[in-house]
Parts: sequence; C-alpha cells; structure tokens
Amino acid sequence: MDESQQVQRALQLIANLSIDKASQVLSKSIKVGAKIELENVYVADISKATEAIMVSDEGDVVGAYVDLVGDMPFKFLFYVAAEDSLTLTDLMLRKELGTTKKFDIYVTSTVQELGNILASAVTNVFASDFQIKMRPSPPKVVHDYASTVFGEYIMEAAADLNEILMIESQFRVVRMNIKCRMFLLPTGDTQKTLASIVAAA
Amino acid sequence: MALGQEVAVGMADIKVGKESQILTTVLGSCVGLCLYSPSHKVGGLLHLMMPSAGMNMANPDLKKAKYADTGVADLVRMIKASFGVQSSDLVAKMFGGAKVLQGVERNIGAENIEAVKALLRANAIPVKASCVGGERGYRIKFNLETGRVICQIFGNQPEEF
Repeated sequence: MDESQQVQRALQLIANLSIDKASQVLSKSIKVGAKIELENVYVADISKATEAIMVSDEGDVVGAYVDLVGDMPFKFLFYVAAEDSLTLTDLMLRKELGTTKKFDIYVTSTVQELGNILASAVTNVFASDFQIKMRPSPPKVVHDYASTVFGEYIMEAAADLNEILMIESQFRVVRMNIKCRMFLLPTGDTQKTLASIVAAA
Repeated sequence: MALGQEVAVGMADIKVGKESQILTTVLGSCVGLCLYSPSHKVGGLLHLMMPSAGMNMANPDLKKAKYADTGVADLVRMIKASFGVQSSDLVAKMFGGAKVLQGVERNIGAENIEAVKALLRANAIPVKASCVGGERGYRIKFNLETGRVICQIFGNQPEEF
C-alpha cells in the first residue's frame, strides 16, 4: 500500500470514528435516534461537486460553519433543511413539536449549538484516538440556498485546488425523517501531517 | 449536467449554448457573468470564484473559469469558437458577489465584481444589467432564447433582468 492509499485509509478511519461519535451526540442532544445513512471519503472536482448540489435542489438550508484549528486543521459544515431546523429547535429546547414556526434567533442558536456539539465530538475523536490536538472555532450560521452554503464552505480550499478531498456524512433523525448533512474538509497541510503520522506509525 | 433544457453551471465552470437552452447557477461571493449575442441568440455563463489567477497563472493545471482575469477571456473565446460570434456582438449581465459569511475580513465578492467590470470595460463589452453585492445568495436562470435572466436573491421574489 503506497502513502496516498495509507492516508486515504487513515482518513476513512477518522471519518468512521468521527461520524459514529457525531451521530451519538446528535441523538443525545435531541433525545431522538439519529441513524447514519451515508459516510464517504472521496476526491471531488469543485465544479462537479457544486453542480451536483445545484441539481439536487435541496432548497434553503441552515448551516453551521466551524473551523477546526490545531495540529491538523479541517473545515466543518453541518446543515439541515430550513423547514427541518424548526423541528430540531423544538427537539433541542424540549418544546412540543410544531411550536417553532418561523426562522428566528432560537433556530439560529440551535443550529449554532448543534454545529458546536458535533464539531467538538469530532475534535474529541482526534484527541482521544489519534492524539491530535484540535479545537473548534465559534460556529458561523448561515440561512441561504444549499448551493450557496456549500459553495462558501469549499471556497478557501477550492481557491488553490481544482479537486478537494472530502469527508461526507448524512444522518436521518428517525422518527421525524429529518436529513442532516455533515462535511469535513482537510485544509492547509493536513494531508501532509496525516502522511507523516502514517509514515511514523 | 442537463435538466431537460436547463443546464447547471458549477463553481469555476463555463457553459455555452444556444436558443433552446437555459443556463442556471447559484452564487454566493462568486460572480455569474452572462454574455449574450442578441443577433445570434447564443451565449454563455461563467461562474467565477476569484478576481485574479495571480501566481497560479503559470500553473499548467490552471482552471481558467475559476478567476475573472482568465475566465472572462475564456468565455469570450468559447462563444467565438462554438458559434463564430465576435466580442463586439456580445452584451453582458452580471450577478452575485455577495458577502455571505460575516466576520470574514476579505470581501472577495466585491473584488470579483470590480474585476469583472474592469475586464468588460477593457473588452468593450457593454453591461446591460447587473444585480450584485448584499449578503444573500443568488439563483439565476439565463434564457438563451431571449437573453433575459431571472434572478432571485435568497428570501426575495425573482426579478427579470
């Protein structure tokens, strides 16, 4: 197995553990089971990846951007359909379902908090399983078209690269049939750092 | 990727076409530049990300559509190569360039807008309409039959340009 395959395998392992942990903390936070529907590590052409999001027409979403800074920087994105963010707000605030009817400060805070919780879960996996120190930056919340939210997320990495390495996952909040998406994007020298860790192991 | 007659244009990409097609994209800080020849009913859409290729200009893997300075020239070249239309036959409409993420120092959207305006001036391509800036995303549909563009800023009603 060459170095790039080893890095890919290490990323797959990180993805599996991070996504597993994230789904557990999501379930705990909203007190409803969250099932992992997709976990994928892949290299994506920036034009094709954004085109695919446009064609899938996910409508408007609420997303939380978090920079995971430290030994191995990543960019983190969590988003959910705007309509479903209202239900998540009721679940997080332990309100009767249907109480939150419009996008307001409580919805923003809920998505921000979920972004923070999930990003922290990922950094805990890095710290406990790989001894890689990382911390999440304060989440930035954006309510906009799914394609705009995703495009702004990959902007920094895509400035230097035509293809980006992406960890993608999708959770389904089972009883409510809510689909949440989570992405991790290695930035800067993350892949090199990972290669050196793999080589030293 | 085609959706019936609709063709989606991803980030850092160019699509050209003719009358029966509608070119569509979604923008944030990126700028969508529509060039159209009313007499030939052909045109193209550039979805650019950054104002200048800068140091990347010498990169053999340069994706021209990513940058305004290389992308605008490439869009004009592609329309000419596909349909034999000269740049003097083209008119421009531009959209996007928002500052979606607050708290970020660099306003890349504003830089993109200025870069595209300067390049169109330099190429003597008149700007027939523009809807740029703000803090929200844009969804645009560019009809190559009419040259008209339906632009919907997130949270607003669609407008025709």
